[in-house]
Amino acid sequence: MRLEGTHELHAPRDKVFAALTDPQVLARCIPGCESLEKQAGDVYTAKLSAGVGAIKGVFQATVRMADMRPPEHYRLIVEGKGQPGFLKGSGDMDLTEKDGITSIHYVGEASVGGLLASVGQRMVESAAKMLAGKFFSALEAEAQK
Amino acid sequence: MIPTPFDYIAAKSLDEAVALLGKHGEAAKILAGGHSLVPAMKLRLAQPQVLIDISRIKDLAYIREEGNSLRVGAMTTHYALESSKRVRVVSPLLAECAAAIGDVQVRNRGTIGGSVVHADPAADWPAAMIALRVEMVCAGAKGERVIKADDFFVDLLTTAIAPGEVLREIRIPLSQGRTGQSYKKVRHPASGFAVVGVAVNLGLDAAGKCANASIGVTGAAAKAFRAGGAEAALTGKPPDAAVAAAAAAKAADRQDMNSDLYASAEYRRHLVEVTARRAVLAAVGAAK
Amino acid sequence: MATKYVGNRVKRTEDPRLIQGLGHYVDDIKLPDTLHVAFVRSIYGHARITGVDASAAAKAPGVVAVYTGKDIGKIGGVPCASDLPEMKKPEFLVLASNKALFVGHAIAAVVATDRYLAKDAADMIQVDYEELPAVTEEVKAAAGAPYVHEQFGTNIAYKLTAGEGDIAAAFRSSDKVIKQRILNQRLAPIAMEPRGVLARYYPGEQELTLWSSTQIPHLMRTQVALMLGMPENRLRVITPEVGGGFGSKLNVYAEEALLGWISMQLGQPVKWIESRRENFQSTIHGRAQLGDLEIGIRKDGTVTGLRYNVFADMGAYYQLLTPAIPTLTGLMLSGSYKIPAIQINVTAVFTNKMSTDAYRGAGRPEATYVVERAMDLVAAELGMDPVEVRRKNFPAPNEFPFKTATGLFYDSGDYVLALEKALKNADYKKLGEEQKKARAAGRLVGIGVSTYVEICALGPSAALPAGGWESATVRIEPTGTVTVLTGASPHGQGQETSFAQIAGDELGVSIEAVTVIHGDTSIVQYGIGTFGSRATAVGGTAVFVALQRLKEKASKLAAHLMGVDPATVKFADGRFTSGAKSMAIQEVALHAHLAKSLPEGMEPGLSATYFFEPKNFTFPFGTHICIAEVDKDTGEITLQRYIAVDDCGRVINPLLVDGQVQGGIVQALGQAFYEHVVYDENGQLLTGTLMDYALPRATNCPWMELDRTETPSPVNPLGVKGVGEAGTIGATPCLVNAVIDALAPLGVRHLDMPLKPETLWRIISGNSARSA
Ligand SMILES: Cc1cc2nc3c(=O)[nH]c(=O)nc-3n(C[C@H](O)[C@H](O)[C@H](O)COP(=O)(O)OP(=O)(O)OC[C@H]3O[C@@H](n4cnc5c(N)ncnc54)[C@H](O)[C@@H]3O)c2cc1C
Repeated sequence: MRLEGTHELHAPRDKVFAALTDPQVLARCIPGCESLEKQAGDVYTAKLSAGVGAIKGVFQATVRMADMRPPEHYRLIVEGKGQPGFLKGSGDMDLTEKDGITSIHYVGEASVGGLLASVGQRMVESAAKMLAGKFFSALEAEAQK
Repeated sequence: MIPTPFDYIAAKSLDEAVALLGKHGEAAKILAGGHSLVPAMKLRLAQPQVLIDISRIKDLAYIREEGNSLRVGAMTTHYALESSKRVRVVSPLLAECAAAIGDVQVRNRGTIGGSVVHADPAADWPAAMIALRVEMVCAGAKGERVIKADDFFVDLLTTAIAPGEVLREIRIPLSQGRTGQSYKKVRHPASGFAVVGVAVNLGLDAAGKCANASIGVTGAAAKAFRAGGAEAALTGKPPDAAVAAAAAAKAADRQDMNSDLYASAEYRRHLVEVTARRAVLAAVGAAK
Repeated sequence: MATKYVGNRVKRTEDPRLIQGLGHYVDDIKLPDTLHVAFVRSIYGHARITGVDASAAAKAPGVVAVYTGKDIGKIGGVPCASDLPEMKKPEFLVLASNKALFVGHAIAAVVATDRYLAKDAADMIQVDYEELPAVTEEVKAAAGAPYVHEQFGTNIAYKLTAGEGDIAAAFRSSDKVIKQRILNQRLAPIAMEPRGVLARYYPGEQELTLWSSTQIPHLMRTQVALMLGMPENRLRVITPEVGGGFGSKLNVYAEEALLGWISMQLGQPVKWIESRRENFQSTIHGRAQLGDLEIGIRKDGTVTGLRYNVFADMGAYYQLLTPAIPTLTGLMLSGSYKIPAIQINVTAVFTNKMSTDAYRGAGRPEATYVVERAMDLVAAELGMDPVEVRRKNFPAPNEFPFKTATGLFYDSGDYVLALEKALKNADYKKLGEEQKKARAAGRLVGIGVSTYVEICALGPSAALPAGGWESATVRIEPTGTVTVLTGASPHGQGQETSFAQIAGDELGVSIEAVTVIHGDTSIVQYGIGTFGSRATAVGGTAVFVALQRLKEKASKLAAHLMGVDPATVKFADGRFTSGAKSMAIQEVALHAHLAKSLPEGMEPGLSATYFFEPKNFTFPFGTHICIAEVDKDTGEITLQRYIAVDDCGRVINPLLVDGQVQGGIVQALGQAFYEHVVYDENGQLLTGTLMDYALPRATNCPWMELDRTETPSPVNPLGVKGVGEAGTIGATPCLVNAVIDALAPLGVRHLDMPLKPETLWRIISGNSARSA
């Protein structure tokens, strides 16, 4: 599944990038994040209770950041595993700033497996988009602080 | 197909249901007809620890006319709406939409309240709710509040109802004058849900022009939406085939379409157009 | 002999109990102290299993035992009965331990005091996986790495070439060779009742009883005994009511042996009832063939040769008949036509998916679809009427037994007769005129024709991996009731009725007096089972011959009791008569059991057993015609009419035959328009529920105008051919041909199934490249 989108954040790029790479901020922004701990380098482990509406699942996830070029680019690699199956995704984040507004453009590939894939195929894409939307609006609020 | 363990409480009153929701918080879920919640539980996609059954509460399933509006209790089944003679006369769209849901067994158990709160992106009711500009009456610990249909459907499986609230009633304003309504859907061959569903509610003026149009679309996007572009294209014009087609072409404007194994985003966009055109023409036909 | 029952629309004697919910399926059998099994199954299409941590599950409430791949050392692999030259043979253990090769591959079994606790505990088992690249496409699989089974260094399970005649010469001498890639997509059988097993071991008696929802109790007994290394006569398999199989229960699955083994470990009954999700993941699938058709023709429509190079997707492992299915496709490639040269080249490949195996038709619908699509391609190429192309290539009735270039001898047939009848019933000429008018009005209306032949009554033992005969015992009990024991194990077809009809007529008794017993290996003599449209032609014949033997004995005894010359005794309406003397067969039965006065050398009792070995297959045939319209706006299809004329030889019960034909047509509708098991490139199963996998519903079905011709088969004394799969085989191409014909004005000659509205819309709206 290919995921692509652009979100506009009313905050300067430096602050957005700093927020994006701050584990404490991330923990507050990732929907359903119950804990996020920094492991070696740019690798984090997280416990996510991700869900949409009545549908919820608990995931153990690792989040890795690579190709860091502050404040304009990095690559995000997420792998999660839980009772409803697993999810994997990686994407390139490109940040540009214009008139005090930072655009984050992401392009990535994601795949899900297990229950999520076999019973959720009609909704996974919408769910991914929705969670991304939630994440970026929380991030915007953080970057405006 | 076995759910995780849960407690079951049959609430005796709406107040008790609200209190129980307050007490158990996130762990609890309201159980209405169980036709969306229970399948999700059986797949373990939903794992509530407490189910608060509201089906035994008296006076939560009703269809009443009050002044210029129809009041429908949240626990009213699809079948009750489909089969009510009065509904067919005063709000035919409700009956038509109800009849398009699942099969008889589903319609006998499933409730309008459960369907709108669950907000499945492919559910039929949300389109009709938007087209009819209904109001949702929600009961919470601090009393009741009313949410307009346009504000109610927030995102995929997400509504404006707050965690501690119970949907009590749906208020449907009854249209006056020469009105026409229609619901058309393209059924998913497996689930029977709407690949695309379009509900149209319009009024004609004395000259036969479209005085007002309200159009809800479901199945197409992450949530049901109002086809504002199509409404504007109809209003003030004689709704003939060409006008209907032009309006329908705008029904999916500025909306991100779903795509799944059955229908790509491109095909869905096209189906919205075809279905909207058919529903508009049917509604015009009904108004004449 | 008057036939009171045979040939008449006798209502199914099974139905009253079934429609009242009084039947007993595996899950209805409740034994005290039964434990319940839940499985942990792979969520990856291909992964190394690096660890299984069951410690939490083992301590969970109600859990009695947890087994993983390491615990089941001595249980033999899942059996495959077919063997082909140079075939790769992977061992399919009942629980995976090193690698998971498909989504749904069982990794651990949890045994608990109830089904809920078992499932809760199964969720606590932590499996660590290292995902490996999955093999999901046939063509890529055949080309090279990654491999499903590393040890083979290839994904090719076997290659096979079959057929007769010089195909190269045939193509050289043709005016044209038409080529087309054709897909028979992967389907899920979806029996209404999923699989289920209940196992009970008595340590004292050392007797294991398995209740299983299967089509083949005796073969299962043999195979499970071998897997468990136990004496076959200490294993009893009971097949209670079976809620459909369609071939999916013509198998011995890992769960059957494993449940038996667990019961032996624990000394308590254990039960497992498959969920619908498991049913999608780990019950066999069908079809899954992708091939290239080449058909040589002359300008006048005569077919000169046919070649089919096909990739057959085996899945990750073999089940009972997995590798054999494409060989049946090869056998049926002549269709109902005289084709002098035929060649099939099968490349069977392993993929990271569930095994394919027999699904209603099992290899034959695939062939018929290819041949019937080919006939339409020929018609389109030459601008001929598809009916005329077919008629041109039929063998004449006097050419039977007709030898095909695939090595078969078609027993009997009059293909023109069935075709003419269907054309008349459909009013074909008028249809054509109506279609012209509709097209002129801009509508997309198509007429589909298919003239199929199929292979039934499987079959001579020489042609089957594990015996092609069938057995029957008939008895008249001392009180005069008649018992029929059949080795064919019906699972919804209605043989309790049709076999009782045969016995009723042969013995001159009421069918209420006849009980047909099946599906218990301790009661019924060894038998083969119900599949391959064989139960009546082979099993029914066994019953018929046993009845003759029983009557012969009864007649001799009657003569003795009446004190008359045996040669003078006649049997009619249940009575033996000689001159003025007469005796009911029931009286004779009583005397046979009392045994006070028997002729010299006669054994007491009145029963006869017969094992019938057929000399050939039977070849039913027919013509199906349908009319379809495609909605120009949405691509949705509506069927306006469906006309079928089927010839299944002599008909025992028209009601049952109609039911089989209707059910078959509906399943064809599924393949043609709706069904497709989809795995993604990682081997994830995307159609894992009935919310996504579309089955045809009653509201999708056209009214079916059914009719018949009756050409008796010379292969068995009943003259029956078989009808269990004909509908599926004949209807699939008919439906597709109609839709393609509807789109013919747009230049369409072929489309792959399922014919989804979006695909059709893309063509209509010019949104996609047209298929040549
Ligand atoms: C086989 C099948 C086919 C179906 N086909 C269709 C179809 O074609 N079209 C369609 O639209 N739907 C279809 N449905 C869904 C059906 O209409 C459901 O009944 C409906 O979506 C949910 O209603 P319910 O009363 O069953 O709610 P439940 O399943 O009991 O509840 C659904 C959700 O809403 C919450 N909830 C319920 N009532 C309230 C309330 N009053 N206040 C607050 N929260 C509440 C619950 O906590 C739960 O989260 C189908 C269902 C099945 C099983």
